[in-house]
Amino acid sequence: MLRITGGRVYDPANGVDGQIRDVCIADGRIAAAVGDGARTLDASGMVIFPGGVDVHTHVAGGAINFARAMTPEDHRRTVAFIRTQTQRSGLGGMAPTTFATGYLYAGMGWTTLNEAAVPILSAKHTHEELRDVPIVDKSCCVLMANNEIVLDLLENGELERAKQVVAWQIWASKAYGVKAVNPGGVAAWKWGKDAKQLSETVEGYRKLTPGTIITGLAQIIDELGLPHPLHLHCNNLGAPGNYTTTLESMKSLEGHRAHLAHLQYHAYGGDDWNTMRSETEAIADYFNAHSNLTADAGAVLFGNTVTITADGPWQHLLYKLTGRKWGNLDVENETGCGIVPYTYRPSNIVNAVQWASGLELLLMIKDPWRVSLSTDHPNGACFWRYPEILQLLMSADFRRDCMAKMSEEAKRRIRLPELDREYSLFEIAIITSAGPARALGLSNKGHLGIGADADIAVYNQDQDISRMFSHPRYVIKHGEIVIEEGEIRATPLGRSYVIKPQYESTIEEYLRPLFEDCYTMQFENYPVELERVEHAELRNCIPAE
Amino acid sequence: MLQLTLKQNPPVPLEAELISPDTLARMSLDEIRALPLQLGKHRRRLDEFFDISGAPGLELKLIGDLSRVKWLGRGMSQGRIEIVGNAGMHLGARMKGGEIEVHGNTGDWLGAEMSQGTIRVRGDAGGQVGAAYRGSVSGMKNGTIIIDGTAGLEIGMRMRRGLIVVGKRVKDFAGLQMKGGTILLRAGSEIRAGAWMVRGTIISLAPLPLLPTFATSCSHNPLFLRLLARQLADWDIALPALDDQGTYDCYSGDSSVPGKGELLIWRPRNGSTVQ
Amino acid sequence: MRNRADLVIYWGGNPAECHPRHFTKYALMPKGKHLPRGRKDRTMVLVDIRETKSVKAADIFLQIRPGRDFEVLTILRAIVKGQYVNPAMVAETGLTIEQLRDLVDRMKRARFGVMFFGMGLSMTRGKHMNSSAILTLAAELNAYTKFVAMPMRGHGNVTGADVIMRWTTGYPFGISFDRGYPRFNPGEFSTVDLLVRGDTDAALILGADPGATMPQPAIDHLARIPTIVLDPKVTHTSRLARVHITTAVTGISAPGTGYRMDEVPLPLRPALKSPYPTDEEVVRRIHELVRVKPDWLVHQPRTTQQVF
Ligand SMILES: [Zn+2]
Repeated sequence: MLRITGGRVYDPANGVDGQIRDVCIADGRIAAAVGDGARTLDASGMVIFPGGVDVHTHVAGGAINFARAMTPEDHRRTVAFIRTQTQRSGLGGMAPTTFATGYLYAGMGWTTLNEAAVPILSAKHTHEELRDVPIVDKSCCVLMANNEIVLDLLENGELERAKQVVAWQIWASKAYGVKAVNPGGVAAWKWGKDAKQLSETVEGYRKLTPGTIITGLAQIIDELGLPHPLHLHCNNLGAPGNYTTTLESMKSLEGHRAHLAHLQYHAYGGDDWNTMRSETEAIADYFNAHSNLTADAGAVLFGNTVTITADGPWQHLLYKLTGRKWGNLDVENETGCGIVPYTYRPSNIVNAVQWASGLELLLMIKDPWRVSLSTDHPNGACFWRYPEILQLLMSADFRRDCMAKMSEEAKRRIRLPELDREYSLFEIAIITSAGPARALGLSNKGHLGIGADADIAVYNQDQDISRMFSHPRYVIKHGEIVIEEGEIRATPLGRSYVIKPQYESTIEEYLRPLFEDCYTMQFENYPVELERVEHAELRNCIPAE
Repeated sequence: MLQLTLKQNPPVPLEAELISPDTLARMSLDEIRALPLQLGKHRRRLDEFFDISGAPGLELKLIGDLSRVKWLGRGMSQGRIEIVGNAGMHLGARMKGGEIEVHGNTGDWLGAEMSQGTIRVRGDAGGQVGAAYRGSVSGMKNGTIIIDGTAGLEIGMRMRRGLIVVGKRVKDFAGLQMKGGTILLRAGSEIRAGAWMVRGTIISLAPLPLLPTFATSCSHNPLFLRLLARQLADWDIALPALDDQGTYDCYSGDSSVPGKGELLIWRPRNGSTVQ
Repeated sequence: MRNRADLVIYWGGNPAECHPRHFTKYALMPKGKHLPRGRKDRTMVLVDIRETKSVKAADIFLQIRPGRDFEVLTILRAIVKGQYVNPAMVAETGLTIEQLRDLVDRMKRARFGVMFFGMGLSMTRGKHMNSSAILTLAAELNAYTKFVAMPMRGHGNVTGADVIMRWTTGYPFGISFDRGYPRFNPGEFSTVDLLVRGDTDAALILGADPGATMPQPAIDHLARIPTIVLDPKVTHTSRLARVHITTAVTGISAPGTGYRMDEVPLPLRPALKSPYPTDEEVVRRIHELVRVKPDWLVHQPRTTQQVF
């Protein structure tokens, strides 16, 4: 039992905006009151947030693990975690090791994360890694939009059966949501091609288009009643002029819920790299008017990172642009994936546009509940740099200082200089915790109401925003103090959220021969057994009528 | 001058990155005695392994067979280390200035990723001299490494600037992925010299096997060799650079990159020899 | 791959004898969705230094001289980019320039090419640079078509060890924990090099038989120091070890996950019960006993700047 007294509480879901009040914890949850025997933490001069929730990150699985092997030079220059009686050894950096990932997230007050890209074929691998990410709770999204069995069904208009297959595959991979990456495009990339336009037929199909894949999947997911809507990585990621594709994608989602991943990478105008500019206003205008959508920013920060996505075409483009080492993984039939180390520089106009676009979206989208903080870790920047973005959002002056280093040409391509909005702590609590928890449909996360999980970050109130959010005074996970004054005190295992949507068991008879035809793995070996998911917790689906 | 004499050969490798003029010059003898060294997984005091004499300063003399002692002079920026005996891996790695002289042999990664300074080895060196550590973009960025004896694999790997001179025949992959600077092989090399080189110059005074991705360009005595010869004279190393002694066959490559590196192979005029 | 790869190249490996399932189940024979005629829709190229049983299965066999793999791969990279190659020196590889140009043409024309490389490439002169050469070639071919290169590893769960070391430490092998955090330097910290130099004063060996494969100085050192072997059976290494703990056979009587060489995880479900403990149980119990000993890292901070 624990009582935190004297702190300013920011709990947007319950309308609490910086009032000083006690927060009580019993049995890992927020309680109305605790007895006199409870330990008391004096939080005078501090602010209290619900623990951070990351709606879109890449911290576990084949791709990031491939990136780890490719970046020994980065591992060497990072701070190392030394093994102690409570802490495993590990390395931070662009692609942190699993244990370090848990320590780094908790170390800045984040307590839940959503691993955004899990190929079904290697879901077992992802879960094995997530088991080694301590402290934080986890969920993951399974990749679907380039899965050939699903694509074939959508091609033939067999939506009902496609729904059964999607449901079976979610459960087989022990996932929590469904992610569509560059629908149709990754499948085409296996032929060295890309799918650029939403209405263009996907290579290798007769009539299937990226648009029909998006609409079909969004409908299936709504009908299955998944807590998290379709998690969409739009086509044409990173390409100049791609904002029209993004607008088209959003239009094809009308009538359905959807979450748009790393929206920044999809908000560019211009015809080529020389004329590329920010088109965030057009994206934000449409988005503001359509409440069926949520998004995460996919913001970029200047500096080194490693880009890794299941978007093969984009990766190869980066490789050609930078000439830096490239890794390309090919996961049978489902998705490909590329990896390139990359440095974002303020002197590079393209990078400057990317940097500004992420911030512009966060500032121009009016409803903070619908846009979450993310960097598409590690693509735009590493997750442990989130505090730097919070500082940019909270201070227009700081943004101006950063822009002072940029060329006049770059400033003509962006909207950021015109934006004066500054986030309040209340709004920060929304985009880092309450909003993403709601987008994920995790009702026990992102707030401090009675019965909620006692995942709490306590920060010293500080003029230096970046410092403040980098070094929480206390972090509490499920009622246990895990971080105290920068020291890791405990490293409990987090839970994994899993859903089991309804499907008819006969679907397996349909799938078995297709599998034996397509895959080099036995059908029985495909599903991840529930016992292999550490601390699995089943969440409900509410199917549509 | 401070003198450290090895008392006993460590049973497992001893990591001694703090033994460098930059750290020791600022310390009292007592502090130096207590300096932590890493023996395997344990932390130990310096005086468990070394007898100490003389006075702390920028000059340092190490005596004994230190072939198991790693990281001596790591990142040093000034002063001088003289080693009477052998030295272990990573000697002078990342050094930024100053001088190291070894009267003996050294292990791998000698002067790896160094940016300035001079290393002279009277005996043989291991592999990866002046190289980039695994995954790093560049190896040595400047400075000079002179080895009288032989050297191992991948010397000068990804080096960007600076000079490496090796007196006897080196193993495979000399100048691998080299980006600049100069490697002088006074007795040639085994196979794959200059593999995947982008820029830079490899000079060999003895014939060496070429990769098929190098093209003959010309035969002459480039002017910069006279400058290099003058520089090397300070080290008592002769470099033939005059037309009456012979000429250099020039090759360019590695075309697989495609790169613009240069390989110069000395062809003495009849009767003329190189010592 | 099974559905798409229309050009399959085996380099320095003998799948017919070493990985027979590779042909039949995985890369060569199966009918794929986009390759309905199976083997007939694929071109198989074998590159090796001698005629093995795999030659029969190949459409094209390129026999190269021993120790010339790196040269051939480097020539291919140059041809792919239309760069200069010295024709006289090509002959030294055992192949003609026409053969190599034809191979590059096929590579560029393929819709999806894949190269599998074996120990004949990765363990011969040049070692990691040979692997690097084939991986680089594959990356560069992606400017023209889809291409991947993949190692064919030895028996046992080598890939699994590699995958797990990467997620726990950031590095695949050759890792030192002496300083309390992982450091990586093949050649310095790789097992065979440590043993040959005599840099360790104890050894715990699990799922391997270095006594059968490593050079003599390494074996001599293992015999000299306290060596502990966990193995279901008696091996060369267990004979020279101070302690041999008999364990259950993973995959047959101990559960776990195996990683296929393309890193696809497969569940291992025990079919039999073993009277012996699993490797995991033994290591866990050793760890429990080590844990109660005084911690040799207590004086260290919890995080640190690295030595290199
Ligand atoms: Zn992503």
